[in-house]
Amino acid sequence: MQITTHSANNQTTLALNGRFDFHTHRDFRSAYEQALEDAATREVVIDLGGVDYLDSSALGMLLLLRERAESMGKTVSLTRMQGTVKQVLDVANFDKIFVMKG
Amino acid sequence: MRPLKVLVVDDTLANAKLVQSVVDRLGHRSFLAENGQRALELFETEQPDLVLMDVMMPVMDGISATRELRERLRAGKRWVPILLLSALDDISDIVRGLEAGADDYVVKPVNIQLLKAKIQNFTHQVEMQEQILQHTTELERWHAMAQQQSELGSHIMDRLINTEGLRNTLVSQFNIPAETFSGDLICAARTPDNILHLLLADATGHGLPAALTAIPIASAFYRMTEKGFPIASIAREMNLKLREFLPADRFVAATLAAINVNDQVVEVWNGGNPSALLIAENGALLKEWRSRHPPLGVLPAAAFSEQIEAIGYQEDCNLLICSDGLWEAENAEGRRIERDRILALFAATGREQHLAGLQALVQNHLAGAPALDDISGLLAWIPIERRSLPRVAAQPERSHLVHSGEWHLAVSYWAEELKSLDVVPALLDLICQVPVLKPHKGSLFIILSELYNNALDHGLLGLDSSLKAGGGFELYMQQREASLARLSEGRIDMSFWLHSTDNESVLDIKVSDTGPGFDYTRYLDEESLLKQTALPHGRGLALIRSLCSQLRYAGNGNQVIARYVL
Repeated sequence: MQITTHSANNQTTLALNGRFDFHTHRDFRSAYEQALEDAATREVVIDLGGVDYLDSSALGMLLLLRERAESMGKTVSLTRMQGTVKQVLDVANFDKIFVMKG
Repeated sequence: MRPLKVLVVDDTLANAKLVQSVVDRLGHRSFLAENGQRALELFETEQPDLVLMDVMMPVMDGISATRELRERLRAGKRWVPILLLSALDDISDIVRGLEAGADDYVVKPVNIQLLKAKIQNFTHQVEMQEQILQHTTELERWHAMAQQQSELGSHIMDRLINTEGLRNTLVSQFNIPAETFSGDLICAARTPDNILHLLLADATGHGLPAALTAIPIASAFYRMTEKGFPIASIAREMNLKLREFLPADRFVAATLAAINVNDQVVEVWNGGNPSALLIAENGALLKEWRSRHPPLGVLPAAAFSEQIEAIGYQEDCNLLICSDGLWEAENAEGRRIERDRILALFAATGREQHLAGLQALVQNHLAGAPALDDISGLLAWIPIERRSLPRVAAQPERSHLVHSGEWHLAVSYWAEELKSLDVVPALLDLICQVPVLKPHKGSLFIILSELYNNALDHGLLGLDSSLKAGGGFELYMQQREASLARLSEGRIDMSFWLHSTDNESVLDIKVSDTGPGFDYTRYLDEESLLKQTALPHGRGLALIRSLCSQLRYAGNGNQVIARYVL
């Protein structure tokens, strides 16, 4: 999986590309740690537009990110879910946990 | 670089000394064997890291010794380099030596620079070999440990799953594990008033980690079902337990179902699992319970929702609960199993064939490919209860022992508590701590549930029980929920008196509410009562009658006294 980071207006977007699963663990973690450490970042946006597969360990990673962000007083939102990725997030009712931005 | 033990094999002492001095100067330790036979002996006792072998020797030549050494090493899955020293005109000897298992050769007379360089090379190779061996040993140790953990996990899962509830003839299950055993947990158990509780839980990961999360879930399920708690409360408790000890990235998708054949109602709580399906005998989809909640272990207690969805059924039907492994299993073309194929299966076959049919469908779909995720399913056949009276918990043997002491308990619940507490299971837990009452738990649960529900639903909330008949159950439940939320005043008093009368030990149970009461005279003659038993709302009362020696209403009909003979 590829992760592209983009920051603007106190908001850091991590655009993910490819399969979001167990093997992504280290890359994803270091990307969001970096984003959260930036004092200017108030919100981390996970752009799932380029993700074609997401498994339950990916859901776990999103929950870890959320816990970490909350402990620093920052927020996490998800955006551009589609296809099976959207289905998986729907079944897990992640809209009750994360801010969903279209 | 550690010094190597080098075995020098040569029958000519001058040659041997020369080679040994080269070895010693490189910082290694050498020792001498004067022929092949002696080399084999020393090899066993000294365990050298490198062998420098002359070819022409008495007793046993270098080629034979090399062949024998190499065979022994292969048998022990080891490698020690063997370097042949041979005269240049013995080129055929060299070829034979290499074929016999030597790694390299040096021609005689020995060029010291060349010998040094070759020994250095072998030193590196020996070191690498040692490292690989070390890694392999470590890997084997890890593998053995993983194997052990997997067996432990398998044992735990077996114990959690293999319980009475699943021996129920109406419930069947299948499990196709992704690894050696499945991390999906399937449980079934009955409440004291004969409601069947089912659970299918799918933890993140497989193997031991999945089994670890299954333990608190299974124990909460069995413990609370046995006490008669509703599935909503069980789900809440499981969520709490998992939140307590799981890290943030671990959770458990779970579906809980309650099948009440008396009232002909199925209730489901689904958090993170694929839809549970209620399927008619003709394959028609009667109800789909989508996932309405995040999986267990994700939300903090304050945000947790125990909202369940209930449906009344009017015909024989099947409840199917599957893990996502089933719906996400892809065949060689990347296609998944469509729901219509499963519905068609139910339509085409009798209920005895459903489970086998489902398993065959999945196996055919996978066509020999391994399952990437645990695939499990729980199937319950739900026939319409055709008897006029539902089955009752087994009656304990009458002891004929008169209870010598007396015991009394009185409790009152006001509106706020009535809204949020599971009154009956909690109260029953307390009551059954009295030893003589404990064996009667099943019957007492039924009596108390009926009396309490009547007091709450009809006494305080003013609900019309005739609504339940004729498929109005959902409407009834909606009204009940809304009325309960609005309830701001009112009280239910309950008292229990264990005493002896007419040489019998009896428990008198009195339940009263602050509602307006009802015209109980209508229900008192047996004739009209029996007519009511065909209706869901009439069954409760008939059931109490069958369990109690006396049942009478008092006041405005807002008081009821039941006498249970021990």
